[in-house]
Amino acid sequence: MAETKEKSLSDEKPKPRVRPIVRLGIFLISHSFLVSIVCCTAGVLALFLLPVLAKNTYISENALMPGSASPMLSNQHVSDGNRLVKDLTNPNSKSSETGIESHKIIAQYMLDLGAEVSFHKFHPQMNQFHPLHFFSSPVSGKIQENYSCSSYGINTVGIIRAPRGDGKEAIVLVTPYNALKSGFGEALSLGIAYSVFSLLTQVTWLAKDIIWLVADSQYGEYAAVAAWLREYQTPKFSSLSTPNAEMCPDVNNLFELKGHSISGSKFSNSFRRAGTMAAALVLKVRDQNEQFEDTISIYAEASNGQMPNLDLINVVNYLAVHRQGLRVNVEKLWPLLNSSWLKSLGEIFESLAKVAKSLYPKWKFGIPATEYVEGTATLASSLYYQALGVPTGPHGAFRDYQVDAITLEISPKFSLDKVWRNDILLRGGRLIEGVIRSVNNLLEKFHQSFFLYLLTSPSKFVSVGVYMIAFALLIAPLPMVAASLYVDANSSSNCSKGDSSTPSAITDTDEHGIAIRSWRWLNSAKLVFIVHLWGAIVSLLPYFISQIPDCSPTTSFMIWVLLSILSLLTLNSVLASPLACAKATQEKEWALVKSVTISSVFIGLGLMSVINFATAEIGALLMVPMCLLARPLKLDVRAGTLRSFCRLICNLVLGHIAFPPAAFFLLKGMLDGFGNANVGDFWMWVESLWAWNSATYLFIGMVQLPCWVLCVSILFHTC
Amino acid sequence: MEKVKKKIGSFSFWNWVTASIIFRLILIYFPKNLNLSSRPEVSTPLTSFRRLAEGYWLKQSFMSPYAGSMYHGSPLLLSLLGPLTINRIEGQPNHLLYSLVSVIADVVSAMLIRATGQNLRLAYLRSLESLDLVKQIEVSGDIAALIYLCNPFTIVACVGLSTSPIENMAVILCLYGACSRLIPLAAFGWVIATHLSLYSAILIIPVIFLLGCGPDSPPRKLFLQRHQQKEVLNQSKLPPRFSWGPVIHFAFWAFLWSVYVLVLCGISLKQFGGLWEMFKSTYGFILTVEDLSPNIGVLWYFFAEVFEFFRNFFLIVFHVNILFMILPLAIRLRHRPCYLAFVYVAICSMLKSYPSVGDSALYLGLLGWFVNELADMQFSLFLFCGYVGVSLLSPVMHNLWIWRGTGNANFYFATAMVYACLQIVLVVEGVSAMLNHDRKLRNLITGKPQDAKS
Repeated sequence: MAETKEKSLSDEKPKPRVRPIVRLGIFLISHSFLVSIVCCTAGVLALFLLPVLAKNTYISENALMPGSASPMLSNQHVSDGNRLVKDLTNPNSKSSETGIESHKIIAQYMLDLGAEVSFHKFHPQMNQFHPLHFFSSPVSGKIQENYSCSSYGINTVGIIRAPRGDGKEAIVLVTPYNALKSGFGEALSLGIAYSVFSLLTQVTWLAKDIIWLVADSQYGEYAAVAAWLREYQTPKFSSLSTPNAEMCPDVNNLFELKGHSISGSKFSNSFRRAGTMAAALVLKVRDQNEQFEDTISIYAEASNGQMPNLDLINVVNYLAVHRQGLRVNVEKLWPLLNSSWLKSLGEIFESLAKVAKSLYPKWKFGIPATEYVEGTATLASSLYYQALGVPTGPHGAFRDYQVDAITLEISPKFSLDKVWRNDILLRGGRLIEGVIRSVNNLLEKFHQSFFLYLLTSPSKFVSVGVYMIAFALLIAPLPMVAASLYVDANSSSNCSKGDSSTPSAITDTDEHGIAIRSWRWLNSAKLVFIVHLWGAIVSLLPYFISQIPDCSPTTSFMIWVLLSILSLLTLNSVLASPLACAKATQEKEWALVKSVTISSVFIGLGLMSVINFATAEIGALLMVPMCLLARPLKLDVRAGTLRSFCRLICNLVLGHIAFPPAAFFLLKGMLDGFGNANVGDFWMWVESLWAWNSATYLFIGMVQLPCWVLCVSILFHTC
Repeated sequence: MEKVKKKIGSFSFWNWVTASIIFRLILIYFPKNLNLSSRPEVSTPLTSFRRLAEGYWLKQSFMSPYAGSMYHGSPLLLSLLGPLTINRIEGQPNHLLYSLVSVIADVVSAMLIRATGQNLRLAYLRSLESLDLVKQIEVSGDIAALIYLCNPFTIVACVGLSTSPIENMAVILCLYGACSRLIPLAAFGWVIATHLSLYSAILIIPVIFLLGCGPDSPPRKLFLQRHQQKEVLNQSKLPPRFSWGPVIHFAFWAFLWSVYVLVLCGISLKQFGGLWEMFKSTYGFILTVEDLSPNIGVLWYFFAEVFEFFRNFFLIVFHVNILFMILPLAIRLRHRPCYLAFVYVAICSMLKSYPSVGDSALYLGLLGWFVNELADMQFSLFLFCGYVGVSLLSPVMHNLWIWRGTGNANFYFATAMVYACLQIVLVVEGVSAMLNHDRKLRNLITGKPQDAKS
């Protein structure tokens, strides 16, 4: 029995009663060309409209109450902080080659305030490729490696116990500090943190413990914070663990020495903990600055495009702008700021808004063109950093444990006089104090505001409900086109076969003895499955290639390409050989392949939009047109009309652009210029992606690359 | 899933069986990376391996295995599989023995499916022959067995150390016994399946039909029409009428086996509260939906939301839902008892209180028996993509909710709802395709143009 859809399309005479929803489906499917053009354009347009649609941020959690109390940080605390800065920048403290002296100074200062102090020794852990990391918990055991005693870092941790708290919650303040080659900025950030810390030892309102982590950044800021967090969240119970830092003799010596020289009973050699972390702030001060006013940059993107709760950014933004008079910055994609087409687009939107307003005064959605350009640049950078899936700072380590964290980078207008230094210490300190006081008020975890959002400026955001519309419009044609191709392919074969079908309808068989009409797509599904399997193999290959010693990025990349092609050929010959003969028999085979490909792309994009929206959006911009347009070149050449010629050109261009390395080089060229493009760059980029366990890597390997291969195979299909 | 079908043409059946076994063994050797046994899709409170180990431990320390609401399975499983939870071989992964038992259970199930499929195919050929229709038909037994073995759901349930391979084996044993008219075996399978998971009890209806009138065939009316046309009533070519003999035989054996099982359970639980305790914490646990931890079903969310006051009412509503569907389906599909069994299993896996992917694996495997009849099923591509999409999306949503903390329970529940909808579409389309198939046969016999359509 033929399908309902086909029925209504192919033979009109009995006109069976069709359910309305099916009828709607049939209508959409039969007009899929028009629908897909409308939907795709609307999707791209909606993406460009996002800066216009952005809403102002607001503080959603009432308990935060930012700025309701006047700051208590006084000049006394500032001068305390200044003292530490002076001691640290004093050349005597840098005499020791491991920078232990400065850690000692910091620890002594903390002890003097009455905080509990401990040192955390860690070995920098190389980021490794964990193909299955994404689905497992962050806790799931990492393999310990053999450590050498030569390289280790020391984090200094100070904890203030809250006088009013029950010790079950904590707020973390992180200042990265490289004792070996610290700039003035790092010392200044320590000074700010210290002045806040010294205030917090005296206040009575503290309900959460305060942890001040001075992260040893000689092996990278992220590594130090991540090592401390790992130790904090996953205590090791076995005493017989693999040799770690404590076993090394010189480290032990150091700490014995410390025990003597540091006075105070609150120093401990063991790892100290406080409660669960409510929030974390990473504080940095930049050394050079070209700005004319004191600005503060917020970095929020953690791994796989995860963002901290919007309320945390709101609190910082509110306090910085309205209380401390600092300018707040979020990252922008600078090349976009000067682009003229964006400016003209902004002007068009602006004038449209004016017209709309003149028609009906309550419609107020326009924003000035300059603001639009800035919003777009911010949005683009927000998308870019989320899509990369690589954290933009040490705060990324916290997000893996569901702790909301951001990095604040203060870039002061630079001058060296003392007044200026005190001023920056005071304002920075008051900002941190205000944020900590707000977070201190929290009764629950951050949960009120958004987790899924894109920033268009520090005080404007696009929430998930808005940006998903753009994405949904973009991928909406996929299932429709898939269905229409599927129906077409089935009905055309039915027409050719099914005419002389009274008793033989049951028995229609081809050479293989298998003619299950509605299951014909299985053949194409097999091809798609094989290509996706190949994609999985290709994504696993770098793990093995990276084991080869002394391999330059370019050669690694070449090996990768060669092995990929080889594996594709092998898989094709082993698994897909019966397909070739099946393909020859069915003239509409490519339509079915395309239909199944589009379905798989739809699933892949839908999945990715949940994992990391930005990747899915960028991927959809590349893949959706390619998938929709793909059609055997032979057919287009044979047709010879203008329309088919255009499609041919589009197909060829898209076929080149959508190849992942080509897309990468194009993007890189657009951002940095094409001059210094190198084949090895792609390898380096990919390596950084998998080192950070970015889901983008899996997306490229298992969705985009197979999709590209399938589309190219459709283009070169012999029909 | 259904992909296997085409591959049979070129590869022999046994190659695929070996490949699937080897694949399972490879996965068993990397259990830590996958961590499947803690996934909510695989292990429910009823099928979880960890709970089994806990129950065994409790029993070994002379406590009731049901203490602390940890274990909710049968006491027989504790005695049979319990020792495997602690036995370890040096240098081998933990639970290797238990995993091997699961693999063996899977293979045995596949073989039973194959044998049953061959039975069904013979019956189908015979009935076509008596209707004077010639048709080249697929070897449905092989296809069904391969679908069962190569289905990712089955593999995941097997490697994830859940007890569902064993439950599935009991169900398949029951159907196999009924198809090959081995009445004691059928009764044994039915009693064990019911004992392990309550819902299999409704399989008694298809089993009675199977024993009473034999395996699937076109409606009886059709044969009568055919013979009226030819005006020779050949009694031998007609399918047999319903006979009560085997059914009474079955009832007797079922009674015997259930008494036997209950006595065994009673002995093993003598010191720990006896049979009442067992019923309370197995069947009672299933029926009252006490555990509201998330799974791929829809009940946990509903009962987490519902007011305590209405809880009993909705419990009744949800369970009666299954019972409501029994009778109409039994009337409509009485001439196809195996298909009826498939539909019942699918409905149960949709509406049961703690579903897992193992249940889906069972009905998808059984679906393979009917490749010939369901050749024209609608929405096959849609269903296939839906299953693939949901089975990928569900772990991601779970990760988003539990580990990242950016999603919430609604995200995960949304996939559960989509999954339930897919199953509904599968059942509805499957049943309508089967009825259309019957209609088509009738039209071929009476010579009407084939435009009949529901």
